[in-house]
Amino acid sequence: MPRVALPTFIILLVCAATAGPARATLMPSGQQPFFGTTDRIRGFDPVQASDVYTVAAISKVYEGLYEFEYLVRPYRVRPLLAESMPEISADRLTYTIHVKKGVRFADDPCFPGGKGRELTAEDFIYSWKRLADTHNRSPRYFNFEGRIVGLDEFRDKSVQQKVDYDKPIEGLRVLDRYTLQILLKAPYPQLTYVLTQAETFAVPREAAEFYGAEFLNHPVGTGPFIVADWRWHNYRIEYVRNPKYHGDTYPTQGEPGDRERGLLVDAGKPLPLLDRVTEYVIADDSTAWLKFLAGDLAMSPISRDNFGAVVTQERELTPELRARGIRLDVALQMATFYVGFNMEDPVVGPNKKLRQALACAVDLKKWVKFYNDRLLPAKGILPPNVEGYDSNAPPAYAFDLERAKRLLTEAGYPDGRDPKTGRRLTLNFDLPQANDPQERQSTDLLAHFFDAIGIELKPSYNNWPEFLKKLERKQCQMYRLGWIVPYPDAINFFDLFYGPNESPGPNESNYKNPEFDKLFEIARVMDDAPERTERFRQMEAIVVRDCPFIFLSHPLSYRLMQPWFKNYKYHDCPYPNSKFYKVDPARMNH
Amino acid sequence: MLAYIIRRTLYVIPVVIGVALVTFILFNVVGWDAATQMLGRHASKEEIAALRQQLGLTGPKFFNFTAALQGPWWRLFDSQWFHYMKQLATLDFGRSFASNQKISTLMLNGIVPSLVLAVPIFLITLVVSITIAMLAAYYRDTWIDRSIVVASVIGLSVSYLVYIMVAQQVLAYQSGWFPIWGFESAKYLILPVLVGVVSGLGSEVRFFRTVMLDEMYQDYVRTAFAKGCTQNTVLFKHVLKNAMIPVLTSVVLTIPFLYTGNLLLETFFGIPGLGYLNVEAVNSTDYPVIKATVFVGSVLYVIATVITDICYAMVDPRIKLR
Repeated sequence: MPRVALPTFIILLVCAATAGPARATLMPSGQQPFFGTTDRIRGFDPVQASDVYTVAAISKVYEGLYEFEYLVRPYRVRPLLAESMPEISADRLTYTIHVKKGVRFADDPCFPGGKGRELTAEDFIYSWKRLADTHNRSPRYFNFEGRIVGLDEFRDKSVQQKVDYDKPIEGLRVLDRYTLQILLKAPYPQLTYVLTQAETFAVPREAAEFYGAEFLNHPVGTGPFIVADWRWHNYRIEYVRNPKYHGDTYPTQGEPGDRERGLLVDAGKPLPLLDRVTEYVIADDSTAWLKFLAGDLAMSPISRDNFGAVVTQERELTPELRARGIRLDVALQMATFYVGFNMEDPVVGPNKKLRQALACAVDLKKWVKFYNDRLLPAKGILPPNVEGYDSNAPPAYAFDLERAKRLLTEAGYPDGRDPKTGRRLTLNFDLPQANDPQERQSTDLLAHFFDAIGIELKPSYNNWPEFLKKLERKQCQMYRLGWIVPYPDAINFFDLFYGPNESPGPNESNYKNPEFDKLFEIARVMDDAPERTERFRQMEAIVVRDCPFIFLSHPLSYRLMQPWFKNYKYHDCPYPNSKFYKVDPARMNH
Repeated sequence: MLAYIIRRTLYVIPVVIGVALVTFILFNVVGWDAATQMLGRHASKEEIAALRQQLGLTGPKFFNFTAALQGPWWRLFDSQWFHYMKQLATLDFGRSFASNQKISTLMLNGIVPSLVLAVPIFLITLVVSITIAMLAAYYRDTWIDRSIVVASVIGLSVSYLVYIMVAQQVLAYQSGWFPIWGFESAKYLILPVLVGVVSGLGSEVRFFRTVMLDEMYQDYVRTAFAKGCTQNTVLFKHVLKNAMIPVLTSVVLTIPFLYTGNLLLETFFGIPGLGYLNVEAVNSTDYPVIKATVFVGSVLYVIATVITDICYAMVDPRIKLR
């Protein structure tokens, strides 16, 4: 045994003796490298793009017809692989889109001679058929479901047999090499937003067929980067600049203040600005934090535990971090977190007064304080940065224990006791994170709020699949969840209350209100206009009145950036934005 | 001896089938719904049903009596259990839900990082702890022995996480002697190996010291001293050899765990090994990966016990193989 151990030990000692500064080996010379963090991803197949990290990875390599402007607010869609915005027929059922000429896929052995070919309209049609094909098990088909003429039939056929991709679909037409046409069953004003989403990105048929089941490990796109190294799936993804990138340029327009913040310095420059992007999978927050402080990572979120040591009472960075040139970026996210009631539950479902009493018992000031003020208290489902939000509307269920107790008595539970049994009312509360200490502590806080009106909260901590199963089977009485929308349209939030979307759809509270459903059906086919905004306000008022949720908060993004990291601006659809980032390698070495 | 090895190896087969049955019941019978997990929150009932059918989750669990009655008898085995057994026999564990990768590939990719971390820790800890234990035994009841015991108790009382965090903060971040995290080159392994060795020394030294001292009080040691043998001869020639049985048990049974990797060290230091794979699988409820690693780990453990039994006989002729 010692014969083996001794050389091993000596080798390690020699390595230790020759080890230079840790960061030096990570720094390729003469390049613009970016070091960031990611998580384990589900591969590089766009139809599997269901979580933020996978979408972010795919968006570096693949592209869609449209994308959101990087700097302009409110968010606006711009053409990316499309020549222009879609031509929409008068009945709003036909979208004609011209694809940019001269865009090429990255070189890959799947092409004849290994040379990437030009992108055509046919690539998008093929990619959307792949999305619909159930053999590809995409969790993202819902955006197209029931929308495009003939596509659902293609999908249904794929359940039983292998489908023929060469067979035309009535609603997806190729008019010429660079023009495609989409025929809709009904107006779908969100379609342009949907065409910014990763699952609609163009993949070359040659690559999908050449690599088969391993296509997820062999990305071949038109995007700003190509994958250079992904040997260790749980450790690192390395991208390098795509030498054939099609000449997209840095935006020349922003919102007021962007120029002063240096965000328009690179206006008009060819993208990407970085030569190399390296993203690590760092499981532990404290390790990631140390790496950020050591200058190994360009940016970092702030964990709840570190928050007090990083941000002062005045919401500013501590002097030590400011002295190092580290910057703080704070932005409101387009998301809402809530406690849901299962409206089919015999206790909470038919008893609106009970739900309202519980909503009045939640002290959102304490709730926000618990999260280090990194939340905005919610008044309804819509966050302030989404069309339809009414900033003047007062909160319907402000913290008021007297009102809560009064409502509880009217609900038939005076002092929180069931008159039939004489016992305290106990409500079951399901949560999706079994091992998150923060979730457990915040649940204790909620239990404390309800305890003040005499109601006992019985938490049940599940893992994610168990939680989904319970929701699907309508087994939760109360549950806690959040809703982060992929594009800035209020209709996304109202999906949560539309009757036909009941479990296993996104309406997990199984809320049904014909008045709401009618408004929803009208609003979802309306174009952006004041009338639509008015409908959204009416819909929100109905939901707030009926109280199928206790609306808790909208999260704020707190992010720290190294002084050498440039061009970062918070974006709610941040996935393709690394092509705009820039670093100053000379400053990195110091 | 050969007959014993063959017999002992054959015993492994029912144990492995038992392990397979337990993992199958845990994950396929009382476990989760794969289709719901794969398709997420937006899936419709029809989509979930279609995927269940494609994944073969709608068929009978153990025996397909219906198919056997209607068609050829061998369709009795057209069931989820026999499909699972076929997968195990071909080492095809399916794909991970979290990463969508082939589990066999993930496991193969994880073995090398796990071993380059675990093997040096194992060997260095073994050599250093036996050496210190012998030193303690040699100087038993002196201040050296007592200091070693006190240091060992302190060492084994400190949480593994404390070692990791102090090492990352002091030796990596503040002093810059080592990288904080990563798997870029050999130098990235030094700190995790150091932490692994230091954190393991306390319990190992205590264990080996006890074993050594037990032997030191045996009759044959007194006889050896009476015959005029030097202390070194007694310690290294007689005591060390006879103390090998418990040492061997400890060492051989540790070997399968080298494969499963070091969960905490890999997670905190970014070593993309099997330990980290397991932690991530548990965190993301990646049941196919958990099922595969539980099965492979159990099989390796069973094999290690067989090897231990055989080694006993080789080290100690008093042990008869029956």
